[in-house]
Amino acid sequence: MTDRLPTPVEDAAGEAPLVERASATTSRTPALGGALRLVKGQAAPPFRTLRELEERMIEAITGGEAAADDAALRITAGPALDARERLEIYRFGYKARLIECLDDDYPILARTLGEQAFERLAASYIEHYPSRSPSLNAFGKRMSEHLRDAELDEQVPPRSFLAELAALEWALVEIIHAKEPPPFDLAALKAIPVDRWGTARLVRSEAVQVLHCEYPVNRYYQKARTDDALPPVPSPSPSATAVYRRSWRLWRMDLTPAMTRVLDALLAGTTIEESLGSIGVDESDPAALAEAERSVMVWFSEWMQGGFFGGIELAKD
Amino acid sequence: MNRFSLPNLGIGLGLRTVHYSHILEHTPEVGWFEILSENYMQTAGRPLHFLDRIAERYPIVMHGVSLSIGSTDPLDLTYLRELRGLRDRTRARWVSDHLCWTGAAGKNTHDLLPLPYTEESLRHVAARVRQVQDFLGAPLVLENPSTYLEFHGSTMKEWEFLAALANEADCAILLDVNNVYVSSRNHGFSPAEYLDAMPYDRVVQLHVAGHTDNGTHVIDTHIGPVLDTVWKLAGDAHARAGGASLLLEWDAQIPTFEETFAEALRARDFIGKEAA
Repeated sequence: MTDRLPTPVEDAAGEAPLVERASATTSRTPALGGALRLVKGQAAPPFRTLRELEERMIEAITGGEAAADDAALRITAGPALDARERLEIYRFGYKARLIECLDDDYPILARTLGEQAFERLAASYIEHYPSRSPSLNAFGKRMSEHLRDAELDEQVPPRSFLAELAALEWALVEIIHAKEPPPFDLAALKAIPVDRWGTARLVRSEAVQVLHCEYPVNRYYQKARTDDALPPVPSPSPSATAVYRRSWRLWRMDLTPAMTRVLDALLAGTTIEESLGSIGVDESDPAALAEAERSVMVWFSEWMQGGFFGGIELAKD
Repeated sequence: MNRFSLPNLGIGLGLRTVHYSHILEHTPEVGWFEILSENYMQTAGRPLHFLDRIAERYPIVMHGVSLSIGSTDPLDLTYLRELRGLRDRTRARWVSDHLCWTGAAGKNTHDLLPLPYTEESLRHVAARVRQVQDFLGAPLVLENPSTYLEFHGSTMKEWEFLAALANEADCAILLDVNNVYVSSRNHGFSPAEYLDAMPYDRVVQLHVAGHTDNGTHVIDTHIGPVLDTVWKLAGDAHARAGGASLLLEWDAQIPTFEETFAEALRARDFIGKEAA
């Protein structure tokens, strides 16, 4: 059984830029006052060393109320805010900045969960995986993994669906940041002698990923991108999706089972000949063989244009 | 002219992704662009593709948020190597970051956290600035941050600390006059006193930006047009420095390129058309 090419879809974020990080402070504001109280005139001796100050302030900013209350005793009051309120600006800003970052990376997951449930998920992610890198580009990398174990609200969709949705959104982020492969040299491909085809392998590009899912996640994602209302969460039904970049724009393409087998084999470095063998066509049926050949030509054309491969390798004699 | 002979690039803009297409299509007459260094690190893909094309046409300056010069954790050499590589790739005129720390014990808050202004901090930060300058083979440019708290135990004002640090470490200063204004409101000091204390032969760049006034405190959000009060501070600092590269930061609710650039060009009303 062979298939024609499913329609590739340019991602709605394809041309849109990533939201970048900046030196600005988040415009979201903490609720100051109320439970935040520091008795006027209350103070403790200053931190003894810069190291002690930084360690205690990190706990105060990223940790619980007790650490914050303690650190506030070493902070001065301002013209209008007391020390604890001033510290709260940093405590709030820490989480808000990282939540904004996760929201940028996972817009459809955030919509699917709703604002409050997503913020709870993001807060637990931040606690489990605090940033240890100078850059936030890879901060959200483990969201799919986190979703498989995190404590979730009871009414949210199945966690395996959410984890697959997160994996798709993270794949899009990784493809944005992936290295551009060299242009594929079609002449080199055509120049391969027939007797060497058996050993030829395609070199995979870093800017392509294939996701295998239990749910039709890409279809859900696409509808969520294009429709105002969120689509219903689909029932399980296996799917495979290629995520890739063409002319610096993001594209997604659902793969049929035959395409998946061939593409998986090629991306794994199997020879072209063996990969094509995995298409699973009845070789005694000339019509089926011819159809398979036509399909493969169409797929290859898309994969080459999509920059799935950066070159071709032949086994050394 | 500053003591480092770093050029006055005129009026520039913070490079933001929403403006990439416009810039590449129309090549507007902007003096220079400043990039957030970390947005172009840990990536090999699209951000660098656009940056390379823009760097072919405009002078670039790099502005970082994660050097964490005040941290007591060791300097991150992997980060510094990537920073230097990006500087060389873009032929950036200089590299700046903030007088702050962003994390400790391996954890990064991605915020510009204030230091206690003490002799201990001064010695610590000056030593690290010298290390970074040796690594980059160029002067480091340090910016005064917006801050929302101060520590008991500080023995200096921020402006005294910054001036002393610049002299001690022989580094350059990026004077963010919006940050001066924001901090002056949050801590109750006079912006004029801050500006009076700056060693202007070390001021190579000025920042202006919008902010959000919450009444009880002011947040450095980089949203919206620049307040005239802040523009006047910029004009004053610009004159005292004998000219300096001036840049508008606009980081949220970013309008069209034309609107953003028009706001930057308001600088001419405060620093004079000739100086711009």
